[in-house]
Amino acid sequence: MQNEQQLDCALDLMRRLPPQQVEKNLSDLIDLVPNLCEELLSSVDQPLKIAHDKLSGKHYLLCDYNRDGDSYRSPWSNKYDPPLEDGTIPSEKLRRLEQEANAAFDQYRDMYFEGGVSSVYLWDLDQGFAGVILIKKSGDGSKKIKGCWDSIHVVEVNEKSGGRNAHYKLTSTAMLWLQTDKTASGTMNLGGSLTRQAESEAPVSEANMHIANIGRMVEDMENKIRNTLNEIYFGKTKDIVNGLRSTVPLPDQKQQAALRNDLAAAIKKRSERPDLKS
Amino acid sequence: MAEAITEDDKVSIVSRFLLHAPPGEFNEVFNDVRTLLSDDTLLKDRLSGSFAQYNKDQFTPVRVDGAELAVVISEHNDLGRHRFFDPRSKRSFHFDHLRKEAKDVQPQEFDSKAESWRSAFEAHFSNYVDNYYKHGVCSVFSKYDAGVITIVACIEDHQFQPKNFWNGRWRAQWSLSFSPGSQSKAELRGIVKVQVHYYEDGNVQLVSSKEISEDITVTSENETAKEVVAIVLEAENQYQTGVSENYSTMSETTFKALRRQLPLTRTKIDWGKITGYRIGNEIGGKGDLK
Repeated sequence: MQNEQQLDCALDLMRRLPPQQVEKNLSDLIDLVPNLCEELLSSVDQPLKIAHDKLSGKHYLLCDYNRDGDSYRSPWSNKYDPPLEDGTIPSEKLRRLEQEANAAFDQYRDMYFEGGVSSVYLWDLDQGFAGVILIKKSGDGSKKIKGCWDSIHVVEVNEKSGGRNAHYKLTSTAMLWLQTDKTASGTMNLGGSLTRQAESEAPVSEANMHIANIGRMVEDMENKIRNTLNEIYFGKTKDIVNGLRSTVPLPDQKQQAALRNDLAAAIKKRSERPDLKS
Repeated sequence: MAEAITEDDKVSIVSRFLLHAPPGEFNEVFNDVRTLLSDDTLLKDRLSGSFAQYNKDQFTPVRVDGAELAVVISEHNDLGRHRFFDPRSKRSFHFDHLRKEAKDVQPQEFDSKAESWRSAFEAHFSNYVDNYYKHGVCSVFSKYDAGVITIVACIEDHQFQPKNFWNGRWRAQWSLSFSPGSQSKAELRGIVKVQVHYYEDGNVQLVSSKEISEDITVTSENETAKEVVAIVLEAENQYQTGVSENYSTMSETTFKALRRQLPLTRTKIDWGKITGYRIGNEIGGKGDLK
C-alpha cells in the first residue's frame, strides 16, 4: 500500500521536475526510494543512448527493454555487450520477427527521419508478445541550435482466435530536446516529452502482418504526436512567455482592446438594427 | 538494488527536488517528497531552509495587509527569523513559507542614507513594470555600506493555470552599486529568467536565462534611475525578441530537420510493400537455386 502510494508520488514528481535533468532526477529518486528501483527504471522514459555493435558494425539503441543486468543486447547480432552467457533472448520464432521488424522500421526511420538510429526489441508473452520500437535522431546543430528527437513506442500484442486476430496496445513517448545559447536570447532550453496511447484490433494472416499492423499504428501515432509537439513547443509555451511580458507598452494594448470592444459594440448595434425595424 | 544512503544524502536530494519545483507547483512537489521521504521530523528539521530558499529564488510575491502593492520575497529583504521587509510600506512581516502568507506586520526601521535613491528607482521601475508586464510585481531594495549604495530591483510576473496543465514565471533582477556624488561609472548587472511548464500527458519545459551587464554614469537620483530603466527596457526587449526568434528558427529549421511530416513521396508508408519487399527479396534469393 505504502509502496503503491510512493510509486504514484515518484511518477508525479518525474512529471514535474525539469525534464532536461531527467537522468539525474531519476538516479536521485532511486537513491531516495531504492525499493522502487525496478519499477522506476521500467516506467520512466529517458533519452536513448547509442551503442556500437562490433559484430555487425551497426549502431543500436539502449533502453530498459534490451538490458539484462549491466549488459545490453544488440538487435542486429542478438548478442549482449558486455557478453552474457545466459542473457535473456527471444524465442527462435520471435527472433525472426524481430529481425524483420528491425529491417522494416529501419526503412521507416530512413523515410521520416532521413538519418538517426533505430532498434526494435521483442519479448515473449503468454498470449502473444510485446515489443519496443526506438528511434533517435540528433540535429546537425545548424543555426547554433542543437536538436534531438527520441521515440519510444511500446506495443503489447495479444493474439486471439488461434492467431487469426490480434489486439494491439500502443504506448508512445516522443521526446524533443532543443537548446541554444545566443547573444540576444541567452541560454534557451526547450525540452521534454509527450506520451499518448492507442489500441486497435486487426486480422493477422502471417507473421509479417504483425509488423504491418504495428507499423501503421506507430506511423499514425508519431504523425499525431509530431503535430502536438509542434503546437505545444512552438505555440503554447511561446504564448505563455508573451502572456507575462510585452515588448510594447501595455496601455497601447489596452487602448487597442478598448477600440476592438467599441468596434464590436458598433457592429453588434448595426446588426441589431434590422430587428428594430421588424 | 542500490545501497541505503545516509540521512545527509537524503536531505540534499530532497532539497534539490524542492528547489527545482516548477513555478506554482511547490505544494505538489512538497507532497510528493513528503510521501517519498516518509519522515516528517527530518523534513521539518532539515529542509525548512529549502522552503524559504525556494520562495526567495522564485521572488514569490505577497501582499501585506493594508499595503496597496505586493512585495517579493527575496534574499535582499530577508531580515532573518522568517521576517521580511516591505520597502514600499516601510514595514516588516513574518512570512509563512508553506502557506505563503504574511503575518504579524510591524513598522520597520530602515537606513535612510540610500532612501532618496531607492525611492527614485522604485518610481521608475514601478512605472516600467506597469507598462510592460501583464501582472508584474516589482520591489526595489537598497543597502548602504561604507559610502557605497547598492540598489537591487526585483521583477516578477507569473501565470498559474493548473486546470489547463501549465504554469509560467518571468523573473528579473537588476543591481547597481555606486558611491553617490562622484559622477562615477558604475556597472549595471541584470539577470532575466523565464520558466514555463506544460504537463498535459507529458512534461515539457522552457528554461531560459540571460545575464546582462552595462556601464553607466551615475548622476542625480532621478536621472540615474531614468537612465537605468531605459537600459532595462531595451535589454529585456532584446532578450524577449531573441527568444521569439529562437522559437521561429527552432520550429522552421531544427524541428523540420529532425522528422518529416510525411516521407518524400508525400504519402504515408505502404506497410504491405515494406514487409512485402523483404519477402520478395527472400523469394528472389531462393530463385537463385533454380
